[in-house]
Amino acid sequence: MSDFFTEAVLIATVAGAIRLAVPLLLASLGETFGQRSGVLNLGVDGIMLLGAFAGYYTVLKTDNVWYGLLAGIAVGIGLGLASSLISVTLQAEQGISGIGVYLFGLGMSDLLFQRLVGTPVPITKFPKVDIPGLSDIPWLGRMFFQHSVVVYLAFLAVPLAMFIINRTTFGMNIRAVGENPEAADSLGVSVAAVRYATVTIGGTMAGVAGAALAIDLGIFQQNLTNAQGFIAIALVYFGAWRPLGVMAGALLYGFVNSLVLQFKTLGIIPQSWSDIAAMAPAVITILALVIVARRFRAPAALTKPFTRGT
Amino acid sequence: MSRNAWIWLGVAAAALLVIIIVAVSGGDDETTETTEAAETTTTVAETTEAPEETTEAPEETTEAPEETTTTAAAAEPIRIAIVAPSASNDLAFTQSIVDAVNVIESERDIAEVAITDGTFVVEDAAAAIRDYATNGFDLVIAHGSQYGGSLQEIAPDFPETSFAWGTAADTFGLPNVFAYEAASDEGGYVMGVMGAALTESSTIGIVGPIEVGDAKLYVDGYKAGAEAADSGVTVNVNYTGSFSDVALASEAAQAHVAAGADVMTGTAQMVVGAVGVANDQGILWFGTQANQTSLAPDIVVASQVYKWEVVLREILDNMESGTLGGSTYKIDLANEGLVIEYNPDFELSDDVKALADQAIADIISGSIVPTG
Amino acid sequence: MAEVPMLEMKGITKRFPGVLANDRVDFDLYAGEVHTLLGENGAGKSTLMKILYGLYQADEGKILLNGRPVEIASPTSAIEHNIGMIHQHFMLVDTLTVAENVALGLPSSRGVLTDLDAVSEKIVALGKQYGLEIDPAATVWQLAVGQKQRVEIIKALYRVARLLILDEPTAVLTPQEVEQLFATLHQMTADGRGLIFISHKLHEVLALSDRITVLRHGRVTGNTTTEGATRSSLASMMVGREVKLAPDKPETEVGPAALEISGLRVIGDRGNVVIDDLDLEVHTGEILGIAGVSGNGQRELAETIAGLRQAESGSIVIAGSDVTNQTPAGVRSAGLAYVPEGRMKDGSIGPFTVAENLLLIDHNSKEFLDAGLLNFEAIRKHSQSLVDEFAVKTPSLDTPVRSLSGGNIQKLILARELSGTPNVLVASQPTRGVDIGAAEYIHIRLIEQRDQSTAILMISEDLDEIFGLSDRVAVMYEGKIMGIVDPKTVGREDVGLMMAGVSQEGRSAPGA
Ligand SMILES: Nc1ncnc2c1ncn2[C@@H]1O[C@H](COP(=O)(O)OP(=O)(O)OP(=O)(O)O)[C@@H](O)[C@H]1O
Ligand SMILES: [Mg+2]
Repeated sequence: MSDFFTEAVLIATVAGAIRLAVPLLLASLGETFGQRSGVLNLGVDGIMLLGAFAGYYTVLKTDNVWYGLLAGIAVGIGLGLASSLISVTLQAEQGISGIGVYLFGLGMSDLLFQRLVGTPVPITKFPKVDIPGLSDIPWLGRMFFQHSVVVYLAFLAVPLAMFIINRTTFGMNIRAVGENPEAADSLGVSVAAVRYATVTIGGTMAGVAGAALAIDLGIFQQNLTNAQGFIAIALVYFGAWRPLGVMAGALLYGFVNSLVLQFKTLGIIPQSWSDIAAMAPAVITILALVIVARRFRAPAALTKPFTRGT
Repeated sequence: MSRNAWIWLGVAAAALLVIIIVAVSGGDDETTETTEAAETTTTVAETTEAPEETTEAPEETTEAPEETTTTAAAAEPIRIAIVAPSASNDLAFTQSIVDAVNVIESERDIAEVAITDGTFVVEDAAAAIRDYATNGFDLVIAHGSQYGGSLQEIAPDFPETSFAWGTAADTFGLPNVFAYEAASDEGGYVMGVMGAALTESSTIGIVGPIEVGDAKLYVDGYKAGAEAADSGVTVNVNYTGSFSDVALASEAAQAHVAAGADVMTGTAQMVVGAVGVANDQGILWFGTQANQTSLAPDIVVASQVYKWEVVLREILDNMESGTLGGSTYKIDLANEGLVIEYNPDFELSDDVKALADQAIADIISGSIVPTG
Repeated sequence: MAEVPMLEMKGITKRFPGVLANDRVDFDLYAGEVHTLLGENGAGKSTLMKILYGLYQADEGKILLNGRPVEIASPTSAIEHNIGMIHQHFMLVDTLTVAENVALGLPSSRGVLTDLDAVSEKIVALGKQYGLEIDPAATVWQLAVGQKQRVEIIKALYRVARLLILDEPTAVLTPQEVEQLFATLHQMTADGRGLIFISHKLHEVLALSDRITVLRHGRVTGNTTTEGATRSSLASMMVGREVKLAPDKPETEVGPAALEISGLRVIGDRGNVVIDDLDLEVHTGEILGIAGVSGNGQRELAETIAGLRQAESGSIVIAGSDVTNQTPAGVRSAGLAYVPEGRMKDGSIGPFTVAENLLLIDHNSKEFLDAGLLNFEAIRKHSQSLVDEFAVKTPSLDTPVRSLSGGNIQKLILARELSGTPNVLVASQPTRGVDIGAAEYIHIRLIEQRDQSTAILMISEDLDEIFGLSDRVAVMYEGKIMGIVDPKTVGREDVGLMMAGVSQEGRSAPGA
């Protein structure tokens, strides 16, 4: 145990937690928008996978991580619009149609990878940025302020999402549409337009999350996300549909994961326990957040398609 | 939901299904094409259409794998199918068998090679195994220890077909199942000896998936080699709990860095994440299952490479003489089914290389048993 | 009045599966007048108005605004034509604040940012001007129905609609609130706006309207101006027969206490004390009427009795068994029947059919179970008889409840709750939104229940109802009982004063 309380290990634990949290945070912030407006998009992981491949492939070809991020955004917008079409216009059962999108992303990203790349080739990663001043703070600097750019971007997205949801007319429309679409409709708020926008935001964020993951790892592989998109959806529930809650959930999940890895590495968790310990992050996160989030209620219109006059 | 919506959903689902099928079989085509055998490429060419076109005719594509060969079966040359859990070019477990079959194909008269890869879902693999057997493939290779249960059910239904299961040491007593495994602890031991000689911090990190089968054997061998060479070396082992979580493997490597490791190794397909971290931090890396030099040419010291062709040759000889199964094979350093391939760009001192050669010789002679 | 009507609806026909909701209806409205639509539950009033507001599309007919034909395809285009609507059921987002509900759909003075401070200021100003005071920062789900209705009216006022549809806006308001609303509406017509008014309360119709159009079974059956019309003439125009406006009430024997509440203390949604040390007894064979302005704890009292809300302290005993803080099912098995105030939300399940909703509380009774499975034959018979008895207007037993007219949903719940022989019946606003024919029937049924020695606690803001039915009247104010009076000896004035918080002693003291 004593090995754990060393500067290097403690710093690595926290920094690792933050890194692990980032793709989840990006994806679940996006999904928060969709769910707040009443649309559950189960296709997040599929969009992440295609975003990841697009980001990876673009960086491979251009050697520019920003183009990679843009590619992830583009894929996210496209699949976000497609998801909107399926769930808003075609009013498909949301619990099922998202799985279709997921399978599409899973299969398509692998197909494209096999056709266009084949053997995994490492790519340039996001640059690390030390925040001037802050990064020199002992301990904290290396925990929080010596990360790759997307890490900062992801955490900046939290107050931005809060601001949009709570302080803008668009955010007010989102909350109204997710709670009582009839009331919003009766005041001339277009339920369909709001939901297209939020689901597309969700798709975009998922695309970014995937690209961020691939470019941060510097590699692509079949099923790279390993179902992180589904964890992101769960975090939206456990984060009680609030950006701060979602962030807390992502960080908690990342932290427990990181802690378990450190404990395994140092032998604090014996090798024979490591398979059981692998489940700890999911279990602990779910327990903690269920306890915290029990007081909150889901948007009343979540998963319910809207048609006027019924 | 309106009727129209259902119809649309149906169309979308059908389209998705087709694309996924193409994606899976697309992998096959790619690999089959890269093989040198000229005869087979033509049979497969039909299915290698652009994905857009194939989506429009779902029935055709789904049937395509069955249609590929109907006539060739009667002739002498045999047909081989591979079902494997990860991608054919994962630079790890699946690639090792695909490469081996390619070698065999260049040596012998093989009518066709078909591959279904990426079947990390066991049910999907079982379906593929049964499909290939039904379609008259002579040898179906189930390349994954997790496929054993499925094979045990399927093999008795196809007494004319030969099955190979790896990595495993059990044929279930069935006359048409071969089993094959790798003594990956041997190469692990050799590289562990090198790792102990190279580490300056006296700390080595190992990233593993789940503590079973081939992965466990390799990890234990590496650890034993390092510790035998220098009892002052600390070997930290981290099983992440997943064969596919690249991000977790990457963080496991970070944890090793924090614990002071300056030499690392790892096994299974998710280690690409760990290799990336090693590369960033200038940490030496030992690969296994396939040659991983291309992933990080600056830091890969050596890789233990599996030459399954050693086993496949014996299996095929057996089949020719009418024996369809019942025996178990192992690749090891002695039969050259396991080979240590060095990274030519890494300047490894002759001393270290000599240590490795000595370890290889000792293992082959039996004076060293890597994992007792 | 202007030459050209501001609105003409011509030959409007609207069909729903199994229902002809509007049958070639003609309707018009001039600027500066109030035109009332009158008709039984299910006559097609709301349907006609929803067509005007763009929520439904007419199958036939046309709409002209200021003489020009228009297409109203959605609420958005209705709003563009300066049409506003106060809906029969609240169109409020419960989780949003009052200010947000008002601001919804309107451009903001701060561009993409909300301008809730400015909106709040204007809400307060409008509230002062029209006597509709409300806290703009309050979240809607915490409000009492009367306050919610205020929000709906403020929404319409805020949008400065030229033509305002009011679909039963007074159903949930207290007499004082109605008076204030009417003053507001008079101000609006004086500004040259046109109002379409729907209500089942005939004295309100007579007090407010200039003209009245009567709908029956989707068709216009009569037109009249308010001069010369009386309550009974309107009632018979609507129902097609004479209607008794006050029920007969025989004397009964009052038995032992069936509902005993003592020292009850309840915390409200906002964390404040809403019921404070309340004692109350209701005996078998009596109707205890609870009068009071809405928001004085009546809703919470009913919910606490029904097991839907926690009691902080005190006890509730039904027919001798303590049911304090029991589950709703537990309270029901002690013999409680409950007609909730919010019938759409608490009393029915919208997507379920009429038959299923009628069965909701009885689904475990032996009568409807056949070896553990629902016996559909028995259920249908039972449902059909209830639907007939309470004259619920529905195309079939399999129609989902949400597509019934507002008043008919009400009748359905009453039919369900009054179908057994409960020890105690708690009825909140039993005839709110119900047409006079049906109200008459519900009153008769309540008295029958009383005569079969059920103890009835009736909460109502309608003083006619309170005085017409109650054997004793308790007045509630700020979570306390101000006093219990005999309606035969105490006048409405006195009760009205008690409702405003003036205690009987306080009032009589100066005289003594
Ligand atoms: N969306 C709908 N689908 C099917 N039937 C409907 C729908 N809306 C209304 N109806 C039916 O049309 C008829 C007229 O209903 P409407 O709501 O217009 O009555 P109303 O006059 O407003 O009655 P109330 O006084 O009870 O509110 C009723 O029989 C009702 O069941
Ligand atoms: Mg109505």
